[in-house]
Amino acid sequence: MRDVQAEIAQLVTSKPIVLFMKGTASLPMCGFSARTVEVIKACGVPFEAVNVLADPDIREGVKIFGRWPTVPQLYVGGKLVGGCDIATALYERGELAPMLKQAASAVA
Amino acid sequence: MKAFIEDALRTAFPDAQLHVIDTTGGGDHFQVEIISPCFAGLSMIDQHRRVYDALGDKLGYEIHALGLSTRAPAA
Repeated sequence: MRDVQAEIAQLVTSKPIVLFMKGTASLPMCGFSARTVEVIKACGVPFEAVNVLADPDIREGVKIFGRWPTVPQLYVGGKLVGGCDIATALYERGELAPMLKQAASAVA
Repeated sequence: MKAFIEDALRTAFPDAQLHVIDTTGGGDHFQVEIISPCFAGLSMIDQHRRVYDALGDKLGYEIHALGLSTRAPAA
C-alpha cells in the first residue's frame, strides 16, 4: 500500500524549494501554475517542480498534506508558503526572492 | 455558484467588505476580494485557509479556480 502522505513529506524536505503544479515548469497547464512558476523564476533560484497531473494520488494527497484545497502549492524549507496569490503578493512586495534565496543557501 | 460563494463568505465573515467576480462568466472561475477584521493578525496563508474552510468541498470541484485577495481593514 502506497503511503502518499509520507512520499509528499519526503518530497517537500528533499529540496529547499518545491512547487506542486499542473504541468511542468517549461509547459504549465494552468494559468495559476504558470504565474507561480514565473515569479519563482524571476527570483533566480533553482526549484523542484512536481507535476500533479502526472500522479492523481499526489494531486489529491497534497490537498490533505498542506490543508490547502488547490494547486499550485509552494513549499519553502519544507513548509507551505501558499498558492499563486500568496506567491505573487510576496513577489510584488519584494519578499519572495529573499525567502527563496535564504532557503536555497541554507542547504548549500 | 456566485450566490453560493457570496452567501458562504457573508456567513463566515459577517462584517466583511466582499467582492466576488465571475471572471469568465462560466460560473466556475472567480476572483474574490475580502476585507475583514477577522483577518487581523493572521498570516496570508491562514487568511486564505479561513476562506477555503468557509467554502468547504465545493472548492476544486464545482469551483475550478479562485483568485483570492484578503486583508484586514486599515487600522
